[in-house]
Amino acid sequence: MPANQLEKKDATIAYFTVVDDERTGWTGGLLVLDRGGRPLEFQCTLPVRPTRAHEILFGPTLRAHLVGEVIGRVLLSKCRTPLALVCCDQPEGLTIESYTQSPVVLVREAAEADEGPITNDMLAESECVDVAGSSFLVPMERLADVQSLAAFYNDLPDAVEPFERIREAIKEAHSQLSRQSAEAA
Amino acid sequence: MSFFSPRPANSKPLSSKPLSSKPAMSDLTAEIDTANSWITSPVLEPHVCKLAMSAIEPVSIPIRLPKLMTATRGFLFPDAARWIPPRDPEASPSSRVGKEKPKLGSGRKHNRIKPPSDIVKLQDRLYYLLQPPLDLLVGSGQLNFPFNPFPYQLDGMAFLFPRYAGILADEMGLGKTMQAISTIRLLLCSGEVRSVLMVCPKPLVTNWLREFSVWAPEIPIAAIEGSSAKREFQWRSPQIPVKVANYELLMRDQSILTDDSMHFDLVVLDEAQRIKNRTSTTSHVVRSIPRTRSWALTGTPVENCPDDLVGIFEFLSPGYLKPGMPMPQIAKQAGDYILRRTKDMVLDDMPPKLYRDAQLDLTPEQWSTYESAEKEGVLYLENLEQSLTIQHVFELVLRLKQICNFDPVTGSSCKLERLVADIEEVAASGKKAIVFSQWVKSLEKIRDALQPFGPLEYHGKIPQKKRNTIIDQFKEDPNSHVILMSYGAGSVGLNLQFCEYVFLFDRWWNPAIEDQAINRAHRLGAKGAVTVTKMMAMGTIEQRINDVLDQKREMFDTLFSSSGDTPARNVGLSREEIFGLFDLRAPCGKKVA
Repeated sequence: MPANQLEKKDATIAYFTVVDDERTGWTGGLLVLDRGGRPLEFQCTLPVRPTRAHEILFGPTLRAHLVGEVIGRVLLSKCRTPLALVCCDQPEGLTIESYTQSPVVLVREAAEADEGPITNDMLAESECVDVAGSSFLVPMERLADVQSLAAFYNDLPDAVEPFERIREAIKEAHSQLSRQSAEAA
Repeated sequence: MSFFSPRPANSKPLSSKPLSSKPAMSDLTAEIDTANSWITSPVLEPHVCKLAMSAIEPVSIPIRLPKLMTATRGFLFPDAARWIPPRDPEASPSSRVGKEKPKLGSGRKHNRIKPPSDIVKLQDRLYYLLQPPLDLLVGSGQLNFPFNPFPYQLDGMAFLFPRYAGILADEMGLGKTMQAISTIRLLLCSGEVRSVLMVCPKPLVTNWLREFSVWAPEIPIAAIEGSSAKREFQWRSPQIPVKVANYELLMRDQSILTDDSMHFDLVVLDEAQRIKNRTSTTSHVVRSIPRTRSWALTGTPVENCPDDLVGIFEFLSPGYLKPGMPMPQIAKQAGDYILRRTKDMVLDDMPPKLYRDAQLDLTPEQWSTYESAEKEGVLYLENLEQSLTIQHVFELVLRLKQICNFDPVTGSSCKLERLVADIEEVAASGKKAIVFSQWVKSLEKIRDALQPFGPLEYHGKIPQKKRNTIIDQFKEDPNSHVILMSYGAGSVGLNLQFCEYVFLFDRWWNPAIEDQAINRAHRLGAKGAVTVTKMMAMGTIEQRINDVLDQKREMFDTLFSSSGDTPARNVGLSREEIFGLFDLRAPCGKKVA
């Protein structure tokens, strides 16, 4: 939905992250919140396990392929709630902008927890916008959109914490899956 | 073999030629030196052989690289917006000025709602897991409380919120009441529950009403009381989402409660140890109430034996625990249903002194005596006119305060009822308490009521030489859980740090004296926080004195808030304020309202 047509009450915010676990594989989660931080929708993938051939042939591009083109794409396509803004905590996640009309941003504080300091040369042509007390790194071409949305999220309790919720939810889903497999066995 | 023709003997070697001179073409003619070459030898006659080799043909082996794909699962939470109580526009500005920024990786623990193990469906489990942590909601101003809850209290709310069966078993003084009320408030606002029944001992009914008005002022609540017809109307009234009833009343109204049309979304039992005996009538009646969720609040879930817990579980989840089960099995099965914190466990969250106001309503007998005594007393004072002195007013105040302690005719006492219930919990937890009163006579009546808890006395009537023995006995005797002290005798020169509870049965004029008394238990080096319960009869002279002192404290706190320790503690009542307690005009001064 174009930012300039959005009403405050419709200002949803989606959080997207991918968890890489040696045992289970790569699992993605997309959590859609209202502007107060309450959950509206949660989509998660089943774990993806790339083969050794994928690892060799994709080489260092495998991670970006999995995060953006495989997991991010399918999650966005399944999401039923209209999104106003999509947040990532992994730089590779920014590539999902190809599959949504909403601006996709990198939440600096969340990304730095894993990636270390995010510098300007790592994300060329991006600008920083302060949203709900955190720094959102936004591609130049979507800067105006994100700036116009920022004020809608003043009630968001914390702009970083929802990533933790996704990880907790994925952990929960995994444990239920493994319980079910154990019971089936 | 030489590829060059032999040079004449007198010729100079090539290397000795000047670099600039170029050799002539004839010098470079290649010839075979037949004398020295082996190639011409017939012994080594060369033959040419042909070796056949097949062409190398590469073979391609395909490696299948399947497209990476995954399936998804989706969950919608349509009711999200209704979860939080309506915001108080004055108390919750949406401005983020001064708001603490999140610090990832700093190990900050959030008060997150976690689904209990008996919620199985993934959708339901995720609904709770994906809610924002309570501490963030409080910090952002979305969730408002009159006072900031301690982190462990938010944990308690996060524990109760998703539970259909649960025991909040915090030690006395940690705020079980507040945690239960705040969680009920969240559940009502979310629409998850619509009708709640709160069951408590009779002396605590007014306390629950009062606490609800503090922590959930927007929730309509009523105590079930009065005639049979009135009670039936109250039981069936859908306009009141929270009903408070005492245990005895449930037995009288059992037929209404077990009616097919009656159903509660949540039933909460306060002092749930009352149903530890599974065969008691109280237990039967409570268990027969049709309900969806069942919570129990108690500071002493186990008083004598593990079967006490089995009794409480018969209400929560009948048949889940069985009498005679081995202790480890009970502990394992019950673990997910019980949250118990002691003061030691949450010490970092707590202030060294925790004040609880026990605001009580006089018993009907006390009220009757009190009202006539006040009416007659004020009339008498007014008639004194110019001969009225502050001493006269003091006499009336003292008389009324004594009635607030005990009705002189019947001996009835709302404070004693409450004290007995609290000391029961203190004793069951193996702890010790000090009870202060201004009057030895009151202490003697308290002593008689607290006999099961080994009360000792320490006041003006106890000879000096016996006092040390009494203190030693109180320290050493595990069956002695309470010592009764007068403010005068017990306020100075004693160290009773092993006591974690202090009860002020009546209030002293000057907060400084109360503080000295409290500090018997709270000294540097005290092993845990001290809970101070100040008993006060509401709507009486005690409340009026308290209000005046509170106002003065507030004024001093405002004036001296930056200087740390304020002198407010030394504030007593002035002459005008004492006259003002009865709306009287001081003989030589203006009327003080």
